[in-house]
Amino acid sequence: MSQTQKTTTSDLIMGILMLVFGIYLIFASLNMKVYSTFLDAPGFFPLILGIIFILFSLVMLVGALRGGSIEDAKKTFHKESLAALFLSSQAKRVFILSFFMVVYIYGLIGRVHFAIATVIYLFATFWYLKSTTLLKSIIISVLSALIISAVFQYAFRIPLP
Amino acid sequence: MFEAFSQQFALFGSAAAQAFGFPQVFVTMAATVAGIVVGAVPGLTATMALALLINLTYSMQLPVAVAFLLGVYVGAVMGGCYSAIMINIPGTPSAAATALDGFVLAKQGHGGQAIGVGIIASFVGTLFSILILIFLTPFLYKIALKFGQWEYFLISVFGIMICGNLSTQSTPIKGWIVGFLGFFTAMIGLDAVYAYPRFTFGNYNLMGGIALIPALIGVFGISEILSVLQEDTPYSVESQLGRVFPSKELIKDILHTSIRSGLIGCGIGAVPGAGEDIAAWVSYDVGKRRSKKGHLFGTGSYEGLASAETANNACIGGAMIPLLTLAIPGSPPAAMFLAAIWLHGIKPGPMLAIESPDFIYLTAVTLIIATLSMLVFGLALVKPMVKILKINRKILMPIIVPLTVIGAYAGNVNIFDIHVMFIFGILGYILRKLNYPMAPLVLGIILGPTADISFRQALMQGQGSLLPLLGRPVGIVLMLAIVWSLYNGIKSSRRYTASLNTPSGGEGAAQ
Repeated sequence: MSQTQKTTTSDLIMGILMLVFGIYLIFASLNMKVYSTFLDAPGFFPLILGIIFILFSLVMLVGALRGGSIEDAKKTFHKESLAALFLSSQAKRVFILSFFMVVYIYGLIGRVHFAIATVIYLFATFWYLKSTTLLKSIIISVLSALIISAVFQYAFRIPLP
Repeated sequence: MFEAFSQQFALFGSAAAQAFGFPQVFVTMAATVAGIVVGAVPGLTATMALALLINLTYSMQLPVAVAFLLGVYVGAVMGGCYSAIMINIPGTPSAAATALDGFVLAKQGHGGQAIGVGIIASFVGTLFSILILIFLTPFLYKIALKFGQWEYFLISVFGIMICGNLSTQSTPIKGWIVGFLGFFTAMIGLDAVYAYPRFTFGNYNLMGGIALIPALIGVFGISEILSVLQEDTPYSVESQLGRVFPSKELIKDILHTSIRSGLIGCGIGAVPGAGEDIAAWVSYDVGKRRSKKGHLFGTGSYEGLASAETANNACIGGAMIPLLTLAIPGSPPAAMFLAAIWLHGIKPGPMLAIESPDFIYLTAVTLIIATLSMLVFGLALVKPMVKILKINRKILMPIIVPLTVIGAYAGNVNIFDIHVMFIFGILGYILRKLNYPMAPLVLGIILGPTADISFRQALMQGQGSLLPLLGRPVGIVLMLAIVWSLYNGIKSSRRYTASLNTPSGGEGAAQ
C-alpha cells in the first residue's frame, strides 16, 4: 500500500469519525443541564468543540475525497490489502506486545504482587522479542523487577500497585 | 527604579542561595548526567523521562524537585546529539537535524569533535536563552497582568492553533484536531463551575476527570515504547572518535551561528507547545539560507551542526517564558515541568511574581547550574557515552513499562490511572502512525480547563454579548494571531492536498 493511499484512506476514516464525534458532542452538550443561562452552562464549551470537530472533519473529508480516497479506501479494504496490513511483521509485533501489556496491566497488577507481575511480563516480552538468551532473560527479569520494586518502595517511598 | 532593581537583585540572591544549597547543587549535577544518558539512548526522550520522574519529586522539597527535573531536561535535550552523530539515530527527536551533518562528520572520523561542537553549541544556546528568560520575563509579567478571562481563552486557542501549525509534518488540521481532542479530554469529569458530570457515563472513576500525569505518561511512554519495538532497526556505532575538544578556530567559526540560532531557538521555545525539534529544524533551515557556507550544510558542516544543536537547547529557556508568565508550556518537556510544579503548589502565571517572586530566578539559576554541568560532564563523558549507545533496546524498552505503571499509579494511588495511561498510550501510538503530532494533544489537555472556564466567565462578564470583549487591545492582537494561524494553516493544508493529488508529490508530502 502506497503512502498516499494510506494517508487519504486514514484521512477519510478520521474525517468520518470526527464528524460522528462532533455530532455526538453537540447532542450530548445540548442535553446537559442549564443552571442560569446557557452561556455558563456545562454544555456550552463542549457544544463549541462539537462544531469545531464537524468543521475540521468536513475540511478533511473534502481534501480526502479530492485526493481519490474512496478508490484508495476500496483498495485498502480489499481482502489482500487488509491481510497484508494485519499480517505484516510490524502489526503482529505491536499486537503481541500490546497484548502482553494488557495482560500485565489488566490481568496481573492488583491481583498478584507487583514484583511477580513484573517478572512475568518482562520475561514474556524478552522471550518474544528474542532480546537475549533464555537464562539471561530470566535473570534480567527477576533482577529488574526486584530492583524497581525495592527502589520505589523503600528509597522513594512510593506505593506499588 | 533603583528600588525595583535592588529588590530583583535580592530575589536573585535568595534564589541563587537555594539553587546552590545542599543537596540541590549535587542533585542538579547528578540529574544532568542522568539526563545526558537518557537523551543519548535512542527511544528515551526528554519528555518521556520527565513524565516518568514527576512522581519521584512528590516527597522532595521544591528547590530539589526543580533541580532534579531541570537537570534531566537540559541533559536529555543535549544528550540526543551523541546518538545522532555516532549512529545516525537521534536520541531525542530534537536531535534529528543534528544527524544530518553530525553523522557525516563521524563517518569522516571526526565524531569526537562533532560531539564537542554539539555540546558547546548546546551550552551557548541554553545560556543565551536563560539570559533572555531572566531579563524578559519581569516585563512580560506586566503584560500578562493585563490578561482577563477573555484573553486567557484566546491565548489557549492560539496555543493550539500555532502548535498545530508548527508541529505537524502534513496538514495543520491534524494538529488542530488532536489539540481540540486534548480540550475534550479536559472536559471529562465534574464541571469546575457547577460540578455537573460531563462525559463520565456514570463511571465513578471518571468523575475526577482524566488525570494529567497518567495521560502524559501514556502518550509519551507507552506509545514511544511500541514505536521503538515495532521493528528491528539494527545500527552500528562509528568506531573512530578522534579528538573531542574543538579547536579555537572552530569555536570562533560557530559563534556567530550560535548567537543567531540561540535567538531562533529561544523564540520558537516561547511559542506554545512548539518544542525543541521544531526549533532545531527552523534554525537549521535559516542557517542554510543565511550562511556563506550554506551549500555545505548536510555534507559534514560544523556550522550546520551548531545551528541545530544551539537552537534545540535554546528552546529550553524560551519554553520557560510562557510557562512562567502565562502557565502555557513552550514545549512538551516544559509541559511535564509545569505538571510537576503544580504538584508542589506553584501556580505559574501573572500572579507568580507576587506569590512566589523568587521562583523565576530559582528556575534560571538551576538552569545555569545544569548548563554548566552539561558542558563539563558532557565533554568528560564522551567516550563512556559512546559505549552506552551499544545498549540493547530490546532489553531496555520493556523495562520502562513497569516504570510507566508506577509513574501513573503513584499520584492518586489508583489502579484506574494505570488503565488511563495504557489507553492514552495506545491512542498516542495510533495517532503517531497516522502522522498526528503529539504536542498539541498535551497542550490541549493542559489548557482545556483554562479555555473552558475563561470562555464562560468572559461571556458572563460581557453579559452574554461578545461586543464588549472585542474592543480589548490584547484580545484584538490575539484574535488577529488566531486568524493569521488559521489562514496559514488552511493555505498549507491546501498545498498538502494538492501535493497528494499529484502522482509524484504524494509520496514525499506524506512522509
